[in-house]
Amino acid sequence: MARIITITSGKGGVGKTTTTANLGTALAMQGAKVAVIDADIGLRNLDVVMGLENRIVYDLVDVVEGRARLRQALIKDKRLPELCLMPAAQTRDKDAVSPAQMIDLTNQLRQEFDYVLIDSPAGIEGGFRNAIAGADEVVIVTTPEVSAVRDADRIVGLVEAAEKGPPSLIVNRIKPRLVNRGEMLSVDDVLELLAIQLIGIVPDDETIVTSTNRGEAVVYDQSSLAGRAFLNIARRITGENVPFMAITDQQSMFERLFGMFGRRRS
Amino acid sequence: MGFFDSLFNGRQGRSAQVAKERLATVLVDDRYKLTPEMKEQMKIDIAAVLARYLPAIDPDQIEVTLLRGEASDHLKADIPLRRAQQSDL
Repeated sequence: MARIITITSGKGGVGKTTTTANLGTALAMQGAKVAVIDADIGLRNLDVVMGLENRIVYDLVDVVEGRARLRQALIKDKRLPELCLMPAAQTRDKDAVSPAQMIDLTNQLRQEFDYVLIDSPAGIEGGFRNAIAGADEVVIVTTPEVSAVRDADRIVGLVEAAEKGPPSLIVNRIKPRLVNRGEMLSVDDVLELLAIQLIGIVPDDETIVTSTNRGEAVVYDQSSLAGRAFLNIARRITGENVPFMAITDQQSMFERLFGMFGRRRS
Repeated sequence: MGFFDSLFNGRQGRSAQVAKERLATVLVDDRYKLTPEMKEQMKIDIAAVLARYLPAIDPDQIEVTLLRGEASDHLKADIPLRRAQQSDL
């Protein structure tokens, strides 16, 4: 019986899709059977982030409307046979699916997988409500910026109102150098403001850009700090007690050293 | 905050601190759907109620803040009283 986890944020562009792709991949790397669902109908992206865009035949709306069976719409990952993607429809809008249909869909997936991760659209309207309808748990992604934190707080309120239990938080794109200078909200600041449980800290990392360009998960890249952060989050989801990386001090020490020698990390 | 940071940033305004304070206010205001006008009216009403028991209070002197707590949020009102009245006792 799967755990159904929705990844959401309120504000767009904070890294929901990247997070979903990498957590799904990381969980499957640990041997779990994982389905990732793109619930952003009309603006599908999880397929390109995972490099599976050329394999789509049927999508979520086809399944909901009975044109395809569940199995037909699930696309196998390139590397991991236990990882599947359910793509969103690209030519329909968010009203094509109802919350009841999403609950029905997730309940069918529940039988066959260990984890079902749902990539929510931005916003607080219908698409978001569909994405959390079938969820057992909600993970909120934010970045350390006023707009993202404010929107995350709105989502916390809506998730609590929907009686989904307390959501957990990923703080994405932390820039240690800025935090150390007091010019970026720290993880502690964000936690104090949102008052929810922390499940991950992901440093700002250029390898995300290059891996996304290639349609590969960053968790395969051993040298990527963000990749390691996502692997850690996946282990925490499975119940392991993994200490949070002390990225702030370590990295800024490096950056200061580079700075002293007159070099710049581009 | 280390030595280097204080050396390099001593005089700069820390924007993270500003962000945190602004967010602290806006988040609770959002949650309680409290507009700036409503907060002003609340101060006038608080001053009116207290004036029944205490010497007149200027609503502009009242500072009302909503604070987020672990289990519950708090409404904090800072209301300065004129001390002159106490010396008459």
